[in-house]
Amino acid sequence: MSIAGFEVEVDRGGGLETEEMTLNMGPQHPSTHGVLRFVVKADGEVMRRAIPDVGYLHRSIEKISEKVGWHGFMPYTDRVDYVAAMFCNQGWGMVTEKLADIEVPKRGEYCRVIAAELNRISSHLLSIGTMILDIGAITPFFHAFREREKINDLLEELCGARLTYNYMRIGGVAWDLPPGYEESVLAFLSQLEPMLDEFNTLVSDNTLFRGRCAKVATISAEQAISYNLVGPNLRASGVRYDVRRDEPYSVYPELEFDVPIGLGMAGEVGDSFDRYWVRFVEIKESMKILRQCFRQIPAGPVVAKVPRKLKPQEGDAQIRIESARGDMSWYAVSDGSEFPYRCKVRTGSFAAMSIIEELSPGLMLADLVTVIASLDIVAPEVDR
Amino acid sequence: MATVLNQYVRNVFDTAAAVFEGMAVTCSHFVRTPSTIQYPDRTDVRVQDTLPYRYRGILEVDLEICTGCLACERACPIDCIVIDAKKDKATKQMMLNRFDIDIAKCMYCGLCSEPCPTGSIHHTPEFEGADYSLESMLRRFVKEPVAAYKPKKVEDDPKIAPILERGMKYLDEFAAAGDEIEAEAEA
Repeated sequence: MSIAGFEVEVDRGGGLETEEMTLNMGPQHPSTHGVLRFVVKADGEVMRRAIPDVGYLHRSIEKISEKVGWHGFMPYTDRVDYVAAMFCNQGWGMVTEKLADIEVPKRGEYCRVIAAELNRISSHLLSIGTMILDIGAITPFFHAFREREKINDLLEELCGARLTYNYMRIGGVAWDLPPGYEESVLAFLSQLEPMLDEFNTLVSDNTLFRGRCAKVATISAEQAISYNLVGPNLRASGVRYDVRRDEPYSVYPELEFDVPIGLGMAGEVGDSFDRYWVRFVEIKESMKILRQCFRQIPAGPVVAKVPRKLKPQEGDAQIRIESARGDMSWYAVSDGSEFPYRCKVRTGSFAAMSIIEELSPGLMLADLVTVIASLDIVAPEVDR
Repeated sequence: MATVLNQYVRNVFDTAAAVFEGMAVTCSHFVRTPSTIQYPDRTDVRVQDTLPYRYRGILEVDLEICTGCLACERACPIDCIVIDAKKDKATKQMMLNRFDIDIAKCMYCGLCSEPCPTGSIHHTPEFEGADYSLESMLRRFVKEPVAAYKPKKVEDDPKIAPILERGMKYLDEFAAAGDEIEAEAEA
């Protein structure tokens, strides 16, 4: 373990006879971002194994879809990942549109991308803010949340809610951009830029923070691929894969943006600091996308004409979108009736949860918190 | 030994510098305008009045312009709206006998106010809904049976016209309002 330049010698048996200790972490642990539970087998401060125990936040959301119908399921998708609800909205909208052959108007697609990218910034701000909080610094968390609050205000102006947006509908979006929205978003973006630089001085360039995250829980590219990690976690390990770029959907082909990957700035490629840094750079990329969107957005309708009693033809469809936590896949089966026959969501947090058991041997107990936070696990997304 | 000591001194120095840099940013916030507000009693205006027009708070129904079409009841995914509308055989008029919204169940999704043809059911900026019992969360809008509203080409009743105007303005916000009904008629 390297802590600010010092090598800490960890005695792994040999000399003193030690007994393995089984600890329970969670389900209501403040650093677990929801209701997660870990059974930790530890030897003093060093973990031998941390076994994740999922299922505490299971709400049968997929089953609910079979009871409430195609339109009625939209507000429930907000609850799949309540930190980044726009992506779940978009996923459900897109999979139903694919089933029912509905084309979304161009302006509707741009509205979706604007809302989703705003949501991505707010989700990443929450992720990096709480990561630093979990590690032990309180101040940067408030800086991140102050900015996130402004995005919440913007989204509230757009769709009337701060967390469970229910902004999108099958065939487009529910509300057009309100008057003067472009100005308020661009004003927000231009004041976010100096704030991010300040955040850099406060956190990213801080020796203590770097020392705490460097070389902790390094995930190699092969390991990341074999554990099916997605999104920023995968990119931090040096794999340049982004659904927005590699399997473009919506209007992303018309937009220009970079896909940042981990560079090993603090230590190794794929360590906790890289996962933090990829999210930080992605905020800047999202800002770039937002500016382009407002330049290119055409006039016109924002929602296609969709009957209230929607009955897609029989069959199944699957789509993939790049959520804030990576590749999110939606699969729906229709039997030609008003209700979906089956719906399945594949989310990034579940895969990220499974790799913790592999990463944990040899880590300090306090590093488990860093690992959970740097993988950006959101508990409702694990269980659904 | 000298290199170890050198490293040690440098580490102490770096750490102190990092702490100083962080404190400089934090201290600079002492002279900036604070971004916190003292909720709820020290805001200049009520928070409800500062919320955007689209804010989805507690549901309300303007019975004067309710047509009794049951579109909101059908749209609600959790069945928190219960309406009993029957045609009176004697007067041949639609009568509203019951219009209940269970605020305890409601998830404020806004799916009910979208298909309303007159904007009768709508969200208010009111969000403080805490109460002592579940029964008081059930809002009964119909006290005694009333006749449902019949849409006219031009509303001439001075009592109803401003309510209808408010409802139609509320509906204008929705991109899809009206479209779906047309599409349904075509299908």
